[in-house]
Amino acid sequence: MSLRFHWMMPKGGEVSMKTAPETSRVATTQAMSPAALPDMEGWTRFARCAEEAGIESVLLSFSRYEPDTIFVACAVGQVTTKLKFIVAYRLGLMQPATFVQQINTLSGVINGRVSLNIVAGSSALEQRGYGDFLDHDERYARAEEFLSVCHSFWANNGDVSFSGKYCRIDKGKIFTPFLAPDRTAPEIYVSGHSEQAQHLALTQASCYLRLIDTPEKLRPVVRHFRDNGVDVCLRLCVICRPTMEEALAAAQALLPPEEIEKQERRILSSSDSQTLKDALSAADNVGWMNRNLYAGLVPHYGSSAITLVGTPADLAEAFMEYKEIGVSQFIIAGWPKLDEMMIFGREVLPLVREAENRHR
Amino acid sequence: MSLKFHWMLPKGGEVALDGRQTARDAARYRIESMNSASPAVRPDLTGWTQFARHAEAAGIDSVLISFSRYEPDPFVVACALGQAVDKLKFIIAYRSGLMQPTTFVQQMNTVSALVQGRVSFNIVAGSSSEEQRGYGDYLSHDERYARAEEFLAVCNAFWRADGDVNFEGRYYRIEQAKIATPFVAADRTRPEIYVSGHSEQSEQLALAQGSCWLRAAESPEKLQPIVERTRARGLAVCLRCCVLCRPTREEAIKAAESLLPEDAHESTTQMKDDSQMYREGGALKSDQYWPKSWLWTGLVPHYGPVWTTMIGTPQELAAAFLEYERIGVTEFILSGWPELDTVDLFGREIAPLIKPQKGTKGTKN
Repeated sequence: MSLRFHWMMPKGGEVSMKTAPETSRVATTQAMSPAALPDMEGWTRFARCAEEAGIESVLLSFSRYEPDTIFVACAVGQVTTKLKFIVAYRLGLMQPATFVQQINTLSGVINGRVSLNIVAGSSALEQRGYGDFLDHDERYARAEEFLSVCHSFWANNGDVSFSGKYCRIDKGKIFTPFLAPDRTAPEIYVSGHSEQAQHLALTQASCYLRLIDTPEKLRPVVRHFRDNGVDVCLRLCVICRPTMEEALAAAQALLPPEEIEKQERRILSSSDSQTLKDALSAADNVGWMNRNLYAGLVPHYGSSAITLVGTPADLAEAFMEYKEIGVSQFIIAGWPKLDEMMIFGREVLPLVREAENRHR
Repeated sequence: MSLKFHWMLPKGGEVALDGRQTARDAARYRIESMNSASPAVRPDLTGWTQFARHAEAAGIDSVLISFSRYEPDPFVVACALGQAVDKLKFIIAYRSGLMQPTTFVQQMNTVSALVQGRVSFNIVAGSSSEEQRGYGDYLSHDERYARAEEFLAVCNAFWRADGDVNFEGRYYRIEQAKIATPFVAADRTRPEIYVSGHSEQSEQLALAQGSCWLRAAESPEKLQPIVERTRARGLAVCLRCCVLCRPTREEAIKAAESLLPEDAHESTTQMKDDSQMYREGGALKSDQYWPKSWLWTGLVPHYGPVWTTMIGTPQELAAAFLEYERIGVTEFILSGWPELDTVDLFGREIAPLIKPQKGTKGTKN
């Protein structure tokens, strides 16, 4: 199997932004941020470039600060033909039957180009705004029930009845099926570093999505998932330049003013997500996790900013190392997302494919 | 023309059959769409886009996209179809009890921005308990209305956009909620809300939280007091009905009778076990099938009140719409067999004859 590469969808307005600090999460969560509005022009441009660069899917992130991911996928799906959409959605926001009906309908209007990133909910505060008052562990218990109800609908063998602690359904039917050339249910990515997240991924997902770490650290985790038939996908950023010196200079140039760092740190430390806590401690403790893996941008750009820094050859080699330990997918971002994606498609991806051919 | 005309979006697959379809074929297609083997379970962007363009050409304001477990999700359909046409609006039918109001607002606002504000919604408190239980909703008819009132109160609080939303009700509890994506439209900051139903609770709900009360058509005489008291409280009234138009009244009646089922006991409404509107429809006696010379309820006992049909020549139907206008009705959601033929005919033959009468005041919204 060839490695599968996905990219983060830019936020609304981001495709036309010039500087990295502009695009940081702090800026996009402020009221009046353009990130609150759909950006069909920028997204269409980005999506077509992604198709050109050989990117398989874009991940659409979910939060109260952004447009709803299901509809963004639906609209951008009308102007693209190849690109797929990994739709992030939180649980506790709707009934599983409703969710299945929406996702199945979406699959039917974009020719099956949809998969799901299920997030149990990373902020208790934000969840309460959606009417969800469960704590971290209970959210995972509910997610397990929610996804098993969804799977029952997708199994498509009769009415769905379920009686659990969080979900109860009596003779549920959803007539619109999941429509795709090659599948009868969407791929499901479950993300999170906590034990509960890993358990949920093992029992209900097709792929475990987590932040990148060194191959050494990841090896046992990846093996465990692969042994249980679950793929592993890593979330990372890349900075790729012709020389390591240029790449380092590009990373340095991303360090923003102190004020943004303080705000981002406050967001990270107030979350009850294990993923966010891990990311912050990686940044505080190490900085460079190995020769090419840099955590120094995390305090400024958030937990997903652990970055592979280097030349095209360095990066291709790094991706192959992850392939060796069993990782099969990556969701990548960069600064700016579009430019870095084009560099990746032009410089890195051909080297990866070449190496894959050699190892075949 | 001050009246607003909307149309039902055809079921998936219906438009592709057009041209080879009699009125009866179209009716059977719709009746049999509540079957998992029907093509109607699949989204049909090609057919819908074709229909949408014809509706725009006919001067139709919006299409109503119905909600049930037998059909694609109307939110997603509106979003996809909205990318293909640029004038037509969408009335999305949605039930409460399916998602949190905060989520609903985020979805509605997102769709509004993606279709340039061409979206409103029709809240249905849920007409079948059995179907609701399949979504995980176990409330009774009356409780569903009480919940819908809370649901809309929360939605309206978001749309007022004056800070975080907090709510503590019997069915919903929400703390410090924010949804950054606003409702985006050229002329509004929130969607129009159509509340449908015939029960006292639905009238209450419409008055408390809606912008328009949506009912099945009845005779103008019967509707007059209802419309009057609804209008007096600042709410518009929209009627849902079918139209069957032919060059002569005889031909129209003959076409209508062709729609009657072979099995006199056929009914698709037993599922709507606790809907007041459907109970009223089921209780109709055969001497009540012609409340007016142009209004026929002969299909209602079989398929429900939304099959109430205006029948006649273009002149007769235009006059009938004007009668409704005189009692204060301002909007209609129409439907026909087949939908595409009928919407074309409406635009070509009926709409040009509907001219505001002398001495009647223009309606305001």
